[in-house]
Amino acid sequence: MHFSISFLRVGILALTTAILALLPATASAQQEPEFYNDQPYAYGEWNIGRRTNPSEFRYCVDQRDPSWELDNEVADAIAHGLLLQPVKYIVPSEMVVEDLTKVYAILLEHCDVFMGFKLIPAGYPGWLTVTRAYNDVGYVFVTLRPGINALSDLPPGRPIAATAGTTAHVRLASYNLTLTPQKRWPVFPYGGDQLSLESVLRKDADIAIVWAPSFREIQQQNPEYAGFRIIASTPLPPTSLGVGALLLKQNTFFRAGIDDAIKALIADGTIPAIVNKHKIPAAGKR
Amino acid sequence: MNVQSLLRSTVLGTSLLALVAGTAMAQTPAATLLSKVTPVTDDMLKNPPDGDWLLWRRTYNGWGYSPLDQINKDNVKNLQLAWSWGLTPGGTTQETPLVHDGVVYVQNSTHLIQALNGATGELLWQYQYRLPDGVQPNGLRSKAIYGDNLIVATRDAHILAINAKTGKLVWDQQVADVKKGWGYSSGPLVANGVIVQGMTGCGNAQPGGCFFTGHDPKTGKEMWRINTIARGDTPEGNSWNGIPTEARYGGSAWIAGSYDPDQNIVFAGVGQPYPWPAVINGLLPKNPDAKYTNNALYTDSTLAIDPTSGKLKWHHQYLQNDTLDLDYVYERLIIDLPVNGQTRKTVVTAGKLGIVEAIDRVNGEWLWAKETVPQNVVSAIDPKTGAKTINPAVIPQIGQTTFNCPADPGGRAWQATSYSPKTRMLYMPTVEFCSNTVLNPLDQGQVYTGGGLATYNRVPMPNGDGNIGQVRAVKLDDRTDAWMYRQHAPVTTSTLPTGGGLVFVGTLDRKLLAFDDTTGKLLWTSPTFTNSIESFPITYSAGGKQYVAVVTNWSSGLGRLKLITPEIALPAHNPHEVYVFALPN
Repeated sequence: MHFSISFLRVGILALTTAILALLPATASAQQEPEFYNDQPYAYGEWNIGRRTNPSEFRYCVDQRDPSWELDNEVADAIAHGLLLQPVKYIVPSEMVVEDLTKVYAILLEHCDVFMGFKLIPAGYPGWLTVTRAYNDVGYVFVTLRPGINALSDLPPGRPIAATAGTTAHVRLASYNLTLTPQKRWPVFPYGGDQLSLESVLRKDADIAIVWAPSFREIQQQNPEYAGFRIIASTPLPPTSLGVGALLLKQNTFFRAGIDDAIKALIADGTIPAIVNKHKIPAAGKR
Repeated sequence: MNVQSLLRSTVLGTSLLALVAGTAMAQTPAATLLSKVTPVTDDMLKNPPDGDWLLWRRTYNGWGYSPLDQINKDNVKNLQLAWSWGLTPGGTTQETPLVHDGVVYVQNSTHLIQALNGATGELLWQYQYRLPDGVQPNGLRSKAIYGDNLIVATRDAHILAINAKTGKLVWDQQVADVKKGWGYSSGPLVANGVIVQGMTGCGNAQPGGCFFTGHDPKTGKEMWRINTIARGDTPEGNSWNGIPTEARYGGSAWIAGSYDPDQNIVFAGVGQPYPWPAVINGLLPKNPDAKYTNNALYTDSTLAIDPTSGKLKWHHQYLQNDTLDLDYVYERLIIDLPVNGQTRKTVVTAGKLGIVEAIDRVNGEWLWAKETVPQNVVSAIDPKTGAKTINPAVIPQIGQTTFNCPADPGGRAWQATSYSPKTRMLYMPTVEFCSNTVLNPLDQGQVYTGGGLATYNRVPMPNGDGNIGQVRAVKLDDRTDAWMYRQHAPVTTSTLPTGGGLVFVGTLDRKLLAFDDTTGKLLWTSPTFTNSIESFPITYSAGGKQYVAVVTNWSSGLGRLKLITPEIALPAHNPHEVYVFALPN
């Protein structure tokens, strides 16, 4: 079959029908992210030995993640629960953004468990495995504008800043598309939570949608953000995601033990106590 | 007694002197070769010696053609391995060696830059540039040579000048902050005495898009900078659907351009908006205010840049509001062609859709288009303006799986298309495949993200013949197909036409092939290499003999089609080598 402009002109309906007929089988058989088969590469990985001390719980946390101290405490609790010696590695990078494939080298070289990843459905490649959630964290809608207490208070046509590609952004974009053009809000995508909040400070946007731990950290560290208020996400439901840890797929057996530990530590109140101590803002008020 | 006297007076000294003399004698050919390396002048770049490969595509017109004809249709079957050289394994080297006065210059993925004797493969010098912690070692597609220096770009957004004779660093210019995502994946072009370099890595981290910079070749100092994303209250600046400059991303300039000395204009391409899906990057839904369009200039465009001033003279956009990662960023071929009975000064290029297009290189007027690979993205092209109508069924939507041909690696990728003035044919490496495309939220970690926010599940073309790889020859004078070679394994290097009537190309299944440039008959197949080939083969002469060189590697471009060719096994640790072929003595 040779798709071409002329072909499309005469046969686009037939083509679409044929393609739709193909979709269920192919999509379900090969529903992988784009990097699924792109084997990540760790420089000199043949020089990296395998772990030989099974009494250690080697975990990574990343200080660029505003929840890293919470993740750190949870990891220590899991280690104790598994009667293992916690061995922490703090990722030293100062890069603003990294590709997910970067965790391959970190997991290979420095730790078995990388704490603090959002459990996005179908969001991980096959070379990774993900633990059950030990926390539930949300995105918050925040504003500086008086009189706006919910997304629904924002007049159509007024812009919203969203950190690009987050679950909350995708949900808002999806909802926006269901509205008539006259009732939509322009949604401006930003590369990070700080940039989204800055856009509200500059009055480029009236509301920002950001990850709750980021908002808390930025507001605590910068006086100019003191005036931001969390508002209700109505008419959208609050958006939150479970947070868990990553392991390389060859550690699936170990992950099962970690899952059991997380379950027990939630049940006995250990993890809820750690979460409460860190007081991350709720995902959104109705 | 000084050391020299002592040495003279002893047997041991005699032996040592002999050893030293022997070493010096052994080094003599290398030293002699390097001493004969001449400065590369503007005139030399305009009219390179036949045996040299001084620019990414050898000549300013971007043809990738060599006039060397010692290796030809009759004797190519006798090609033998002349020498090989191991490069640092791993990373995504996409190397184009440069050759000047018999010296071959290569850049390893680790940024180890080496000079080799083009006749023997002997190492002449090497320089190790240290990447900062956290920057993945990856190679660059190209580099430049000008004056006495090799000009090299780095993955951490520096430009270096390295003395071509000694391997000593001359200057090191940081252009941007790698911590904010910036970096280079291709090297510069030196045009009219100015280093012109395009920036990439302008995705999530850094708002406002990418840019080109011009630099003084003596010092590296930045002379000018132009943004690849239009700004301001102008028709171009208002082509981003009303979103602020700080919320515009992409426009990577990740391939070196071409240069027209007659006009003093560099023609260079710009990539797509970022993230890819328009419903996420803010270009959809369309802003109802008529003041705004959502074409997203200057993405997927050719920019005509004055290298002396950095002024943007004009632009032509091939694809408006690209929502499928279909970069129109690749090589620009400067060719004079007949169009409607007149000879027109054209720039010819093709993006990932594989649609070859010509524009007038004087004023940017669109002239014609020629489809190659099967595609279902563009349903019509305006015959006067080249404006494209996009098939609405392929536009990624939240909550839906869409089906598009080709997908992100492209029906053709960064592996460059070439042009032979002998045959007046374009030689394009292509691949045929499709994708089930899903829009995903991919902010898995607060810092770690999953790319362009769409996933492409690559699949074979429905009702295809199983031949994913092709080499296509197109007669540019009348845009008719001359010949096509098809095989199952993807074709993964640029094409190399030569004066000997040959076209060389490499494949994912680890072979270099040579075709008759007129008929497409396969004339030679190399022995199987250690790895696939995703690079730019070249040819050069040293000591009066013609050589063909190619770097083997697996890279992240068309190599991603491994998913649909699982039977092609490649080595685990991605070895990289330089292989050089020649005729027997």
